[in-house]
Amino acid sequence: MARRNLTRNTLRTALAALGVLIGVFAIASLGLFGNILALSASAELGGIGNQLIITPNEDAGVTGLDIRDVDAVTRAVGTDGTAVPLLTTSGLLSASGGQTFGQVYGADNPAALFTAREGTIPDRHRQGAIVGGDVAETLDLRIGSAIEVESSRYRVIAILESEELLTPVNPNSAVILPEAAFAQRSYDQIVVQAQSGESASVIAERVRTQLNSREERVSVFELSSILETIDEFFSLLNQFLLGIAGISLVVAGVSIFNVMLMSTTERRQEIGVLRAVGVQKGDVLRVLLAEAVLLGVIGGLFGALFAGLAAIGLVFIAPIGFDVVLVASNAVYLFGAFVFGVIVCLLSGLYPAYKAATLRPVEALRG
Amino acid sequence: MTQEQTQTHPVVEDNAPAIELQDVVKTYNTGGETIDALAGVDLAIEAGEFLAIVGPSGSGKSTLLNILGLLDVPTSGAVRIHDRDVTTLSERERTTARKESIGFVFQDFHLLPSLTATENVCVPTMFDTGRDATGRAEQLLTRVGLGDRLTHTPDELSGGQQQRVAIARALINEPTIVLADEPTGNLDQDTGHTILDEFRRVCDAGVSVIAVTHDEVVTTYADRTIELIDGVIHRG
Repeated sequence: MARRNLTRNTLRTALAALGVLIGVFAIASLGLFGNILALSASAELGGIGNQLIITPNEDAGVTGLDIRDVDAVTRAVGTDGTAVPLLTTSGLLSASGGQTFGQVYGADNPAALFTAREGTIPDRHRQGAIVGGDVAETLDLRIGSAIEVESSRYRVIAILESEELLTPVNPNSAVILPEAAFAQRSYDQIVVQAQSGESASVIAERVRTQLNSREERVSVFELSSILETIDEFFSLLNQFLLGIAGISLVVAGVSIFNVMLMSTTERRQEIGVLRAVGVQKGDVLRVLLAEAVLLGVIGGLFGALFAGLAAIGLVFIAPIGFDVVLVASNAVYLFGAFVFGVIVCLLSGLYPAYKAATLRPVEALRG
Repeated sequence: MTQEQTQTHPVVEDNAPAIELQDVVKTYNTGGETIDALAGVDLAIEAGEFLAIVGPSGSGKSTLLNILGLLDVPTSGAVRIHDRDVTTLSERERTTARKESIGFVFQDFHLLPSLTATENVCVPTMFDTGRDATGRAEQLLTRVGLGDRLTHTPDELSGGQQQRVAIARALINEPTIVLADEPTGNLDQDTGHTILDEFRRVCDAGVSVIAVTHDEVVTTYADRTIELIDGVIHRG
């Protein structure tokens, strides 16, 4: 019966459903986009939450970390991760392909921090140079090529993956040499790669208690703290987007309300006849509400569908992957928007339906 | 089935009128002014009687019809259907009583445009769970001469045919009274005659017909005509 009434006035129904559709689409897509944004951002940033950077506390007059500090940190890390002490300098890099200025790191166990695109990073780095992607490109380096770092020659043993992610030790324009290549014996920083964000903060706490018990010898920088700030920002952004979507749903709700009111006003006589021939108030109310809900379901379904399609379309125009689109939390937004749409429809159908059903038949028939 | 019929619609062998009004007064308040639409109406209609109510505009005809049809309640006085006082019924009870005892035929037919003739006739039974009145509806439509128009929608039917669908609809619940508001008002004279013939047949089946009308022709078909002037009955 309700379906039939809706198909009778196709234009009115289509307009009402369109109103619902737009509202649901707005709330679903804005929620989805915000969520996808947050998800892809944390996917990009994901790795650094597991890292700690331990640097000498220069305020306390500590200018470098010696081997005892490294041992202490290694003990504190234990089996929860890997501590990579780094010597840092910069210098002129040259090869047959030209020359460039770059970062030079000294590390004996860089395998924990970096991944190779070509060649392999040995567990113990004793000889040869590991070069960053950009350096390899600029100097036209291959495995086995010679590279001159500050007038010493090394063989290239590995070329690193170009890192697009935000990391504290960016290897793209760097060369990693064995520690033996450096004259200095005090480390500039120790990077700890932990297994997870939680173990990173556990390690941070242990390092602080063990090394800083007598004096503030080192400062421990947890990258997860940036991550938290970023997450907070994104959840704020998401709420903001949902707020805008909420406004559009209110607008859609008003238009749905208007359509329902119009439709019942137009059908006063029909409702009057129903009442006159002995149809109870409650039954009239039920038919009208069924219509409202049906409208909400149709509009909501299409709205959610279009929002889903828009999110999938986003994959093709923005640098994000399917992995952040096809997740359960996105489905929650779609479903939530759909339910919200149906409820708004039901509520905005309630008043006109009630008004029409309680109209005295005499008055309704007069038109 | 027969038992059910005798329960809800007792075949009137007793002498109680099908519907009876006792000293019915209806006043309206408009803009602080009190208008007596009906000023003490006594009226009794027997089973199978065809009554025509005539009168000038504003004489209270529509008000009378609304009260007879349980669409409105009198300010004072009593309404009885088969000796049952229906004046003080609740809205819900009145709706049920209306459904059981009264059929309506309107000037503008008031059929639902999305439904076929058969479905329109079934409208009063639409919300009765577990009841399929299609068979009876088709029977009634055949009786009013529309046996070949069962699946037509109102816009495929002429005015006279639509009014006959409306009559069939009024009869679907086997009422004791059929109320007609200007039943021929929107029809040409020939069609009007066929509709009035239809009403005569309805009366012959023992159902009372009360028609409010301006149409003189209606009165020639009626058993009795009363004239209403300023809310008071003048016997015709």
